[in-house]
Amino acid sequence: MASRFVPRLFLRRLRMRRRTQPISSLHEASAESAGVSGDRIFSPSGSWSPPDFQCVSRVFFSARPSSLDEGKGPAAIDYPSLLPEEEFHRLSDETIHDLLEKFEEYGDAIQIDDYEVDFGNHVLTLKLGSLGTYVINKQTPNRQIWLSSPVSGPSRFDWDAMSNTWVYRRTKANLFQLLEEEVGQLCGQPISLR
Amino acid sequence: MLRAAGRRILGLGSGHRAPAAAVASRGYHERVVDHYDNPRNVGSFDKNDPTVGTGLVGAPACGDVMKLQIKVDDATGKIVDACFKTFGCGSAIASSSVATEWVKGKHMEEVLSIKNTEIAKHLSLPPVKLHCSMLAEDAIKAAVKDYESKKAKPAAANAETAQTEKVASA
Repeated sequence: MASRFVPRLFLRRLRMRRRTQPISSLHEASAESAGVSGDRIFSPSGSWSPPDFQCVSRVFFSARPSSLDEGKGPAAIDYPSLLPEEEFHRLSDETIHDLLEKFEEYGDAIQIDDYEVDFGNHVLTLKLGSLGTYVINKQTPNRQIWLSSPVSGPSRFDWDAMSNTWVYRRTKANLFQLLEEEVGQLCGQPISLR
Repeated sequence: MLRAAGRRILGLGSGHRAPAAAVASRGYHERVVDHYDNPRNVGSFDKNDPTVGTGLVGAPACGDVMKLQIKVDDATGKIVDACFKTFGCGSAIASSSVATEWVKGKHMEEVLSIKNTEIAKHLSLPPVKLHCSMLAEDAIKAAVKDYESKKAKPAAANAETAQTEKVASA
């Protein structure tokens, strides 16, 4: 059974890895590792480095759909198999750079106090002063673009090859459309991101 | 990557010097610090217990894993106890801690309406940490779903959960 190899793979990877930085959140509230079968729980001991991302994503996500799965709730999805990482980086970088340019142009056109666009480490931050702040970033292990909106809260967009857009699985919302609607409404002037 | 930067900067209890990073440094709200220093309901129930629902969400690769468990009174459908274990940033720990507090004493149907925005507002989470509250909401839903699936197919579900644990995080 595939799951039997998981703890060994873990241990091997952990022994190979140098300790990069201590994880301050590992106190009594820290969890045993997720996704391991019932009777083989791997508990991290004192100095535990984060496991190799590639290995972990493939191990944890089962590609088997559950019959009880609803589209609206959390679901176990094998992300790496949906989109190769290079492809993901290319698509998401392009999208985020597009948004960066459009937001910068928009800022020049409108008058909003404390309008500010920040970009660093692949994280795009759009500050609209007292109207709120948007944060758009890549979540590579999930092959997603994550959005934090002062209007609609957090959402996670997957690449939809059919429509060539980023779509939030649970609400079917389109990233550009959502941003256009919300930002246009907040700032009182329409914006075109597509 | 974002979360790692956040954790490094806000290295609570570890005395770290934070390097300058893309994330602006800001303090955690006192409620978050409170949940971090005095976590409520940390622990584990026996997941093979038929009255226990286990929600496991997130992935180490993303920097957040939450396990939230509920103990349900079969007769009334009320959640009599809840516990959690979370690997992640202070906001993630606080969000799941708050989630366990809020589900206790409520009916299962009722807790499904707990929204991530409420958790985020309660903890005054900054924009970049809203995703933690969403994960906590997902953990609650996953726990309820797990309990209901166990109740629906007791024998089959128990055998299945012993073999495989799927982590939900979409």
